[in-house]
Amino acid sequence: MISLAALARRAAPVLACIGLLAMWQVASIVLKNDSFPTAIEAIRAIPDILGDRESLLNILASLRRMAIGFGVAVLVSIPLGLLMGRSRSVAAFFNPLLMVIYPVPKAALMPIIMLWLGVGDITKTLVIFLGVSLPVIYHSFEGAKAVEEKMLWSGAAMGLSTAQRLVRIVLPAALPEILTGCRTGLVLALITMITSEMIARQSGAGNILFNALDMGQYDTVFAMIIIVGAMGICLDAIFERIRARLVRWSEPQFDMPLSFS
Amino acid sequence: MKVVPSRSSEWVRPVTPQKPASAIIEIDRVSQVFQTSARKDHVALSDISLTIEEGAFVSILGPSGCGKSTLLYIVGGFVSPTSGAAKIKGQAITGPGPDRGPVFQEFALFPWKTVLGNVMYGPRQKGVRATEAEAQSRALIEMVGLKGYENFYPKELSGGMKQRVALARTLAYHPEVLLMDEPFGALDAHTRTRLQNDLLNIWERDRKTVLFVTHSVDEAVFLSDKVVMMSKSPGRIRDVIDIDLPRPRRRNELLLDPRYQKYVVNIERMFDESDEAGSPS
Ligand SMILES: Nc1ncnc2c1ncn2[C@@H]1O[C@H](COP(=O)(O)OP(=O)(O)OP(=O)(O)O)[C@@H](O)[C@H]1O
Ligand SMILES: [Mg+2]
Repeated sequence: MISLAALARRAAPVLACIGLLAMWQVASIVLKNDSFPTAIEAIRAIPDILGDRESLLNILASLRRMAIGFGVAVLVSIPLGLLMGRSRSVAAFFNPLLMVIYPVPKAALMPIIMLWLGVGDITKTLVIFLGVSLPVIYHSFEGAKAVEEKMLWSGAAMGLSTAQRLVRIVLPAALPEILTGCRTGLVLALITMITSEMIARQSGAGNILFNALDMGQYDTVFAMIIIVGAMGICLDAIFERIRARLVRWSEPQFDMPLSFS
Repeated sequence: MKVVPSRSSEWVRPVTPQKPASAIIEIDRVSQVFQTSARKDHVALSDISLTIEEGAFVSILGPSGCGKSTLLYIVGGFVSPTSGAAKIKGQAITGPGPDRGPVFQEFALFPWKTVLGNVMYGPRQKGVRATEAEAQSRALIEMVGLKGYENFYPKELSGGMKQRVALARTLAYHPEVLLMDEPFGALDAHTRTRLQNDLLNIWERDRKTVLFVTHSVDEAVFLSDKVVMMSKSPGRIRDVIDIDLPRPRRRNELLLDPRYQKYVVNIERMFDESDEAGSPS
């Protein structure tokens, strides 16, 4: 038997999506604006996009850049963040650099990077890399800083070297925090992926979207928005599954009671 | 000459050693000065000298802030003293090592490892084969009374259970010296008593050297061969009291023993005095 609470937990995201689409449908019917198609019109345009070989290749190219940008960023940022968290001199060196880069919208760097590296894959992947890096570094840094000293001492007493302690104690202990950063990074990867393709149109999901916008094909524009949104939801859901597996040991055991009825 | 009860031939050991007990830890004129945020030097330990004999159970007793933990950390090699030196078996202590096993008041278990994973960690690090380490660890877990909890994560355990795991985790890599920092301080009275009994049983079995920090007089007298009484501001050794009580010790017998009661009363009085002495200058 599934409990009512479990049922509610499963149904919640579906209900949220249906609710959103319904509100959209009503809003577009009320507003009667040419550039605001109804939800149903937009959904109807989706098979056309996904059925088109050219469009599909574009979307796959986007995903590939995103995967590479995200992957490389995570691989570089976690070690850097952990080192910063455990070494004051490393932190003192990198912190000001990162503080300068953090508030700059990464897409705003696109035009400059395009001058150096052209409009191709490298530029866009680099922008995604930059977008993902900062939250991952930041959360790895905070996670590593918060590792209980006595835990490291226990490891040292067992004979773990400094490097071993970093990999075998700091990394797992900070993992929940690191993965929080990665999740933010994943969302940012999607955002920078689309914006980079808005600025350097050549291929990709953003390319389809903004070309359609220029040509006034609003069904396609909104269909693409749904597709990108769905991609976001799917990626996040996959990530969340992996995350929950990796840090099962740290999840809180009890929900906060919303009422004691 | 006292009458030796026949049930124990061991208990005389700390009193009249058959073989000369050899020093395992020597603390030689150790001082520790901390820079506080007020930019004022704070003398946590002043000129501490202490010798701990192999196989002895030594408690460090003193008011809060007298530097008990700091002293333990120095012996553990986690902190290096401002001046003076600590030695283990004649070798200067320069850092932590598997010959000294700490058990911290905060447990400091690895939360991403199960009970079994935590206990196996030390032996695995030492290079013991997985199957062997697992068998040993399971036996230890049973010994500390946690059979059936091998696959639990630390967050799923109570405070007393975590403390047991912490003890088992340290015992698992066979340190020659156990360094225990108020290991039972955070526990309720009942659990505390049980763990004291368990610790005593374990210790009486293999007689490791134990350096045990506590601020409970009962606990110190009940467990120890020797109680080191400290006073604070600055942290100094005020007295070293030999506890001349028979072993194996049984709690119910000991509580009725006038010798035990006398030790407790005397040390409590000393404790009060050293606490009064220690108002910050
Ligand atoms: N890292 C530090 N920096 C500055 N001062 C410190 C530091 N560690 C300890 N002290 C100071 O040294 C003194 C001794 O501290 P310690 O923790 O050794 O005391 P303790 O005897 O273990 O006390 P308790 O029984 O409360 O645990 C305290 O006055 C404390 O303020
Ligand atoms: Mg302390």
